[in-house]
Amino acid sequence: MPFTLLIDGEPNEIDILARKPRLVLRVNGRIYTVEPPAAGTAGTGTIRIDGEAVPHATAHVGDTQFLRLAGRTFETRVASLAGAGAGAGGGADAVKAPMPGVVIRLHKQPGDAVARGETVITIESMKLQMALPAPRDGVIAELLAQEGGGFDKDAVLARLVSLGEE
Amino acid sequence: MKHPLFSKILIANRGEIACRVIRTLDAMGIGSVAIHHPVEAQARHVRMAGEAVAIHGETPVAAHLDIVQIIAAAKATGATAIHPGYGFLSENAGFARAVVEAGLTFIGPDAETIALMGDKISARDFAAAHGAPVAPSVMPTDDLADFMARAQGIGFPLLIKAAAGGGGKGMSIVRHADELTEAASRASSEALRYFKDGRVYAETFVESPRHIEVQVLGDGEGGAIHLFERECSVQRRFQKIIEEAEAPNLPPALREEICDAAVRITRAARYRNAGTVEFILGADGRFFFLEMNTRLQVEHPVTEMITGLDLVRAQIEIAAGSGLPLRQEALRANGHSIECRICAENPERDFLPETGTVALLNVPAAPWLRFESALTEGQRITADFDPMLAKLVTHGSSRTESVDRMIAALRDLTILGVTTNIDYLIRVLDHPEFRAGRLHTGFVPTHRKALASSPPGRATRDHAAILAALGFREFTDLVFSTPEPYAAMGYWRN
Repeated sequence: MPFTLLIDGEPNEIDILARKPRLVLRVNGRIYTVEPPAAGTAGTGTIRIDGEAVPHATAHVGDTQFLRLAGRTFETRVASLAGAGAGAGGGADAVKAPMPGVVIRLHKQPGDAVARGETVITIESMKLQMALPAPRDGVIAELLAQEGGGFDKDAVLARLVSLGEE
Repeated sequence: MKHPLFSKILIANRGEIACRVIRTLDAMGIGSVAIHHPVEAQARHVRMAGEAVAIHGETPVAAHLDIVQIIAAAKATGATAIHPGYGFLSENAGFARAVVEAGLTFIGPDAETIALMGDKISARDFAAAHGAPVAPSVMPTDDLADFMARAQGIGFPLLIKAAAGGGGKGMSIVRHADELTEAASRASSEALRYFKDGRVYAETFVESPRHIEVQVLGDGEGGAIHLFERECSVQRRFQKIIEEAEAPNLPPALREEICDAAVRITRAARYRNAGTVEFILGADGRFFFLEMNTRLQVEHPVTEMITGLDLVRAQIEIAAGSGLPLRQEALRANGHSIECRICAENPERDFLPETGTVALLNVPAAPWLRFESALTEGQRITADFDPMLAKLVTHGSSRTESVDRMIAALRDLTILGVTTNIDYLIRVLDHPEFRAGRLHTGFVPTHRKALASSPPGRATRDHAAILAALGFREFTDLVFSTPEPYAAMGYWRN
């Protein structure tokens, strides 16, 4: 069974074809021979893939592994882990906090109809005010924030239901 | 050895700028005092300073704005001067006054000068009275209806600003009459929150202008020089992300005219300290006074790189009454320098600030590179302070060389554990219009599509997958799962 990794949210499938004498992997349908890493300073190193030296740096934070390679940064997760936790906020049915901050103004009350893109809440974070829009047309089912109240990143501040669903 | 001008200086700031000031104090043989909120007791500026004093407040930012505690810290440690850095209390006239009244030296201009330049209206009037061009505008009033009637009179597009503002707070562009009410109310409410002054004003919005600013030094007695200009046009959310010196494609006569206007204002104000006079420059070559910043600027290193001067040292010497470091004729601009602001933010999500942990920090080193930061591995990046993490500065004999060096340095710079704008900056620098020096403050939105992250090439993506897999226990366990290759594969263990 292939091993599935999410790189910046995109799935990548990896099969182990051989372990000895060298590691051979099938990645997204293509075959690579991998030679052992040469350690660099903490968190950095060089690995040989099909004979090509690939310098890189990695660091783990919780379930996420950050990877710097070829002048770019990638966020990677194991697919099975990535699945858990995501979706708890209800996706397009929720207005979520993009970062920690404070509620400045609630523009809608529960029961109010909103159009996609209409401002539901004004928040302030890092000295900036910004309007949080409704992700779709609907009716405000619930407001989980109050003016002046603080919240963390990804906190659900309001929930929407479809018209006629309430 | 020369006797130091001050025996000890307190730095009323934190982060990279506090570290940068301490470096010069060390070089000058002057003692340093850091201040910190308890949440940042282990911060780099605290560890670099000779002494450190804890200050308290409801929030860390509030502590750094507490004038009484900061002056008491200076008194208690025997510091005889205070360097305010940028941000926080650096342009607070009340602070400058309180420092002087406490018998200490404020490394900056007089409180009156700060007040004059801190109010956009009085600054604009002062500039106009001393021969600097200003944009047509509508003066503020508390009467919003009257304000809007007159704003409509000068035509659209209009730029709405807070009278007491700065740093892009309470600022917006209005293109149609029907947007004016909302924009003015929003600007006013934001201004009231940040500056305790809800007055807003409007002026002609110059379409796609360049932001050109002039670094000046004034001795406080009417003597002033300029240290050439900086181009700071590449901005997002009204805040600069890339600055350079000198400005590309600026005709020499126009450069001289702009720098001369800045020096005239500095002389007329009998300005004392390093300062920056900001202008906007239209495509038609007309330029207008924007504001004067009465402090050290975030982007001051690019000026240091091309002039060889240490601006913090110049500030200290001027504050001690030693006068200006050089005569105008003795100044030469050497080569070209660029600064990139490395921020914890997500360019794919409208540059919203990000939080996280600096799990890995790897900084490239070269004689033409400066990395200004207070970062340490393991540091948490919170919403407590500004999202700017660091500044990367390069120098080259030409603009092309300093751009190439910056791209190479950004590719090598590794900050893992928090989303940053590093990769975005590489895309900006490598954009043909940036390379050609065709810059304006709308650069980021204008080139949004070209600057968006593109998916990695097939090989890079596969390599990333391999490296990532080898970093996860869930995968290496699969590699080890059959007993026979176990020993052979031992070196894969992470």
